[in-house]
Amino acid sequence: MNRPVNQIILIALLAGYTLLSLSPILWAALISIKQPIDAFMPTLSLDFEPTLEFHWQVWTEQGFVTYLRNSVIVAVSTVLISLSFGTMAAYQLTRMSAAGSRPLLLGILGMRMFPHILLALPFFVIAQTLDMIDSFPALILSMVAINQPFTIWLMRSFFADVPKEIYEAAAIDGCNAWQTFYRVALPIVKPGLWVAALFSLLLAYNEFLFALVLSGPNTRTLPVGISEYGAEDITYWSLSAAAAIGITLPIVIFMVLLQRHLVRGLSMGAVKG
Amino acid sequence: MAEVEIRNVRKAYGAVKVIHGVTFDIADGEFVILVGPSGCGKSTLLRMIAGLENISGGQIAIGKKVVNAVPPKNRDIAMVFQNYALYPHMTVAENMGFSLVMKGVQKAEIARRVADAAGILDLDALLARYPRELSGGQRQRVAMGRAIVRDPQVFLFDEPLSNLDAKLRVQMRTEIKALHQRLGTTTVYVTHDQVEAMTMADRIVVMHKGVVEQIGTPLELYDRPVNQFVAGFIGSPAMNLLSGGIGEGGFVSDKGLKLPVTVQGHGDKGRPVAYGIRPEHIRMSDDGLPVRVSLVEPTGSETQVMVEADSGETISCVFRDRFSATPGSTIRIAPHPNLVHLFDGETGARIS
Repeated sequence: MNRPVNQIILIALLAGYTLLSLSPILWAALISIKQPIDAFMPTLSLDFEPTLEFHWQVWTEQGFVTYLRNSVIVAVSTVLISLSFGTMAAYQLTRMSAAGSRPLLLGILGMRMFPHILLALPFFVIAQTLDMIDSFPALILSMVAINQPFTIWLMRSFFADVPKEIYEAAAIDGCNAWQTFYRVALPIVKPGLWVAALFSLLLAYNEFLFALVLSGPNTRTLPVGISEYGAEDITYWSLSAAAAIGITLPIVIFMVLLQRHLVRGLSMGAVKG
Repeated sequence: MAEVEIRNVRKAYGAVKVIHGVTFDIADGEFVILVGPSGCGKSTLLRMIAGLENISGGQIAIGKKVVNAVPPKNRDIAMVFQNYALYPHMTVAENMGFSLVMKGVQKAEIARRVADAAGILDLDALLARYPRELSGGQRQRVAMGRAIVRDPQVFLFDEPLSNLDAKLRVQMRTEIKALHQRLGTTTVYVTHDQVEAMTMADRIVVMHKGVVEQIGTPLELYDRPVNQFVAGFIGSPAMNLLSGGIGEGGFVSDKGLKLPVTVQGHGDKGRPVAYGIRPEHIRMSDDGLPVRVSLVEPTGSETQVMVEADSGETISCVFRDRFSATPGSTIRIAPHPNLVHLFDGETGARIS
């Protein structure tokens, strides 16, 4: 076989795989524009009358916008807090001796070892004791807690790539510790910040368990809200599908807008400037 | 500009001592090169002058002011690193002006000083570029520009040419030397390359295993190395060093090769000594020692020849004249009698 044929086969395989990966989303998109009677058909029929009725319902009548607002508050706050603390911690951990930083890093990682369900109960008890159920601070802090190890470890790998002579040059050029971090180290790892921001955002935005346990009528986020859509109603499928499409929309927009930064961040280690 | 005084400076990492009491002075405006094999402590000493390493003992003073406890930014020094250490997110102009920004210098003044330095280093056309858009040689010049802009008391260079290819290294060597002659700033320069040291320095400090072996001008080191280490380290190709002892009528090597010695005060017969002769101080002579040619390396201007004596010693020679003998043939050589060095066989110290 020659090269072009190989290429065509490769592209066909990749296209097939992409389609396969997207199929649940495509299916959900199809269901969301079908009447319930068509949606319940066991085959993937394209012979139906498309309708935006359920999308309309989701966005106007079902509290979706309120849930979305709550989700945005929780997700953005989580990103801001966990990223700023995580970045500072990661920076300091790369400036310390390995002997000093290793126990701390492993300790931080320990937080990730527990299944979330194990943490949900103590978090609930703490929040209840402090009378913080159905409050944004409780939700946000719990998300920060589970997110923090990840941001620290990810940012640490970006800081670890910065040669130590850069910091020495900064020290000679007149930077104090904070200026070295803020004016020299941080701009260098900026592509990494975008990646860490995206992953933290996704984690907080999609989080279900803590949101279910800690939220209430005032703070219900999208994943929890959607799960409660008309469970016994005939329109359940179509509404859920429309809401599922709705929930992915902000993320898709975010990724499209920041695509350039994200690609740079994800490939930063490979091409050093 | 300022002089640098290094007084009994020591450095230890825990129980491991890497510098054992080094003392010397660097005069105002002098270009001093610290040279030695890797691990000799030369970079550590430079970093202690910069303030990037703590001083375990002794004292360093810059311009009469003891700086042991002064942070790097207040020592009024500038440093050029081996890997350049340019800030990747800043343009060339921003890199060069950064220290002035941190000092709170007016924008117009920064622009003027950056432009001046760029003019000196021929960087005018590159000021808006980022480090990743520059070649190795250009990055090296930007690193020097960053140092010049500060107008410091002392320039510190840490193996600045090691990452460049051979041709560029020679070119930058000339540029750094010319820059020093133009600015007259006190300079401390670290390298493991003795050719760099010989060609650039006003004075060379030869270090080995954390101690200073010898301090002197390049030619002092070349003409009168104080010990066997300096003799072997300075000069390219390296000096021939044969171990043996004082025998009847001169030097006798361990393998029995006899060579005449005119050095006075070499002591009694039987004293163990090392006999040193530089390859370029050996000439061909009809009544010389017969040796067999084993390798011929012509460089154009001169020819390096490895020869083997009947007793088995290998001796390297450099001849200025065109050399026609081929490997396997026999030639006669004679060391220049006044240019022989003798070193004590036990301490390695020069005998004279």
